[in-house]
Amino acid sequence: MSRWRRTKTVATFEFLTTVKRRGYLITTFGMPLFIAIYAAILGLPAYFMTKQASKPSIYGVVDPGGVLRLEAEATAGADQVPEELRRALETSGQQATVARMIGSARSRFRPYATESEARAALVAQAIKGYFVLPSDYLQKGGVDAYGPDAGRLSNDEGRGAFEDLLRQHLLAGRVDGTTAARMLAPVSGMHRFAVTPKGEVVDGGGASTVVRIVVPVAFMILFLLSVLMTSGFLLQGTATEKENKVVDVLLASANPDEVLAGKLVGLGAAGLLQVVLWLSLLTVGGIGILPMLLTMHVEVPWTAILLALPLFIASFLFFGSLMMGSGSLGSNMREAQQLAMVWSLTAALPLMMMGPLIQDPHGVVARVLTWVPITSAAVIMLRASMDAASLAWWEAAGAFVMLVVWSWLAIRIGARLFRIGLLSSGARPSLKEVLRQARLS
Amino acid sequence: MPIVAFESLSKSYGQTPALRGVSFDVEPGEIFGLLGPNGAGKSTLMRILMDIIRPDEGRVLTFGHPRTRDDLDRLGYLPEERGLYTKLTVIDVMTYFGALKGLTRADARRRAVEWLEKIELPQVVSWRIDRLSKGMSQKVQIAATLMSEPEVCIMDEPTTGLDPVNVRLVQDLLIERRKAGRTTVLSTHQMGHAEALCDRVALIHRGRLMVYGRVDDVRRQHSRPEVRVRVQGDLPAIPETAGAVQTSGGAWRLTTQAKSEPADLLRSLVVAGVHVHSFEPMLAPMEDIFLNVVTEAEREPLA
Repeated sequence: MSRWRRTKTVATFEFLTTVKRRGYLITTFGMPLFIAIYAAILGLPAYFMTKQASKPSIYGVVDPGGVLRLEAEATAGADQVPEELRRALETSGQQATVARMIGSARSRFRPYATESEARAALVAQAIKGYFVLPSDYLQKGGVDAYGPDAGRLSNDEGRGAFEDLLRQHLLAGRVDGTTAARMLAPVSGMHRFAVTPKGEVVDGGGASTVVRIVVPVAFMILFLLSVLMTSGFLLQGTATEKENKVVDVLLASANPDEVLAGKLVGLGAAGLLQVVLWLSLLTVGGIGILPMLLTMHVEVPWTAILLALPLFIASFLFFGSLMMGSGSLGSNMREAQQLAMVWSLTAALPLMMMGPLIQDPHGVVARVLTWVPITSAAVIMLRASMDAASLAWWEAAGAFVMLVVWSWLAIRIGARLFRIGLLSSGARPSLKEVLRQARLS
Repeated sequence: MPIVAFESLSKSYGQTPALRGVSFDVEPGEIFGLLGPNGAGKSTLMRILMDIIRPDEGRVLTFGHPRTRDDLDRLGYLPEERGLYTKLTVIDVMTYFGALKGLTRADARRRAVEWLEKIELPQVVSWRIDRLSKGMSQKVQIAATLMSEPEVCIMDEPTTGLDPVNVRLVQDLLIERRKAGRTTVLSTHQMGHAEALCDRVALIHRGRLMVYGRVDDVRRQHSRPEVRVRVQGDLPAIPETAGAVQTSGGAWRLTTQAKSEPADLLRSLVVAGVHVHSFEPMLAPMEDIFLNVVTEAEREPLA
């Protein structure tokens, strides 16, 4: 039987055994359920507040000077936008402004002849508050606002809606539609651009910048999650094999390299499947990033996305081998976790250094860390995502080759430690004994 | 050509030597007994054969050439410290072990079912391992080892803890393997089993090979030169005898001369006109040989 087939046999067994474990199933499907319940608990008060806010709010208006010329109850929304103004807004692509105005329709304004009538209505809770436009309003712009709670009248909804109402009525019939539309929304949208050190103009919009940061950060977080989850399964599986005494049977059929690689591939696939399932559930649930990205015109960092999988695999093999090899030296699960912890912290290093790396993704620090195996994958991802044009192809290719070589070495070292760890029983072998055994194996 | 050959194997654990220049061969199609007290080095030898640990010196040949990793597919191994994945089902574990020995998953599954029938445990096919009794678990492990039908199978104390009925069942499986031309290396403390089953044996003590050869030859070499005879009438003086003790009626225990064989003595008795009812060369039981060799070796200081 070929080496590959033995590795595949171990990988298939580990994968199938893991995905059928109760603990795995609970984590895989329980985690999104937990997040959904948590989100629901947090979201319910907000939902009811929104629902409450969607009910029409009635405010009184006392306008002795006749600035607004209100004859009946009016809204600041679309039904009150003059037809000419509405058409101008829609023609010039200002649907968002129209929508905002329609949103203001939730606030209704009821004219009162005198302030005492308005006050009586407020006391009777027929209105939420009232505004008084003094006779010198046009000259001075001052408005008096009354309400049971000053804070409530000063909120965005009441004040914003009243200001909309004022604008509409002040402009109506005084300026042409297009000018009125521009005055209502002077800047309807802003497309940001960024100029690279080479003088190239690239998309510099807020969403694009976020995506450029989100891609490498997501890579690092998912990578760390996978490494931690897989190492947990690996250490648990190895401890079980030592405890159940199936180690000799295993090593009598496949060598430690094959067992280690098979376990890494099988358990890594199980970990990856878990992550993919979570992402899919988030996306299907409508709260993921994909729907958001599809509706926004963002520049997707394709180079980084294409590099993600090979870098992920190479780096995963590197860390996984070392974690499993050193973890297997532990005489029990607790010791194994302590030994493997060193590598977990190392794997988290790029995440801790994100700040300075984002500030200068092609600086000296980033360039040096590109060639360090423990940070290489994360730094390449960051550089390719932030500014792919400034990442030389030979840097990406060279670092990837270096990572593959290091992964191979890590598997060899991990396999030796794994053999020593599996065959030792009782107390943890001393460093001297480990080195002696490593030379022999 | 030997199917397995150990050449000058030495192995130490720290300062403690486990094997000291051990060399012997295993022939194709035989049941070979690997004997020795606890800590003699038997398990170390078997683990070296299976490439689980590496020797400090010496080498192992299998199928006529230095052992390679691919040869392991043709070797089965039932270790002394054995176990199964307790949370999995019997069929899943057996399928995995079969697949590790080169069977396809479908073939391994089919054979697992067949072997469970063979060891009279068809009902446990979908049981979880931790539901099995100790004896059942041991039989499942034996079946999992034998189901890939390895050309050479190394079994470390396969019958320990089994009841006499199941011991017989396992022995029958080994005899069946021999009939099919397959080789078994059997490590055991039960000398009666070694005597009954093995064609040849090697006795290891303190990492050294002490006894090695065909069971009959070993017994003969380590036996006192005695025969038990039952005759009619008196026993005349026979030149091939060095001594004669009457045990009862016509029963005698005769000690042969150093250079005489039991067959020579029988011939002389017949020539002398003695009516011989029974004639039985007294071969030492393996257990006595084991005890003698070990006791004598214990008296010697460690080199």
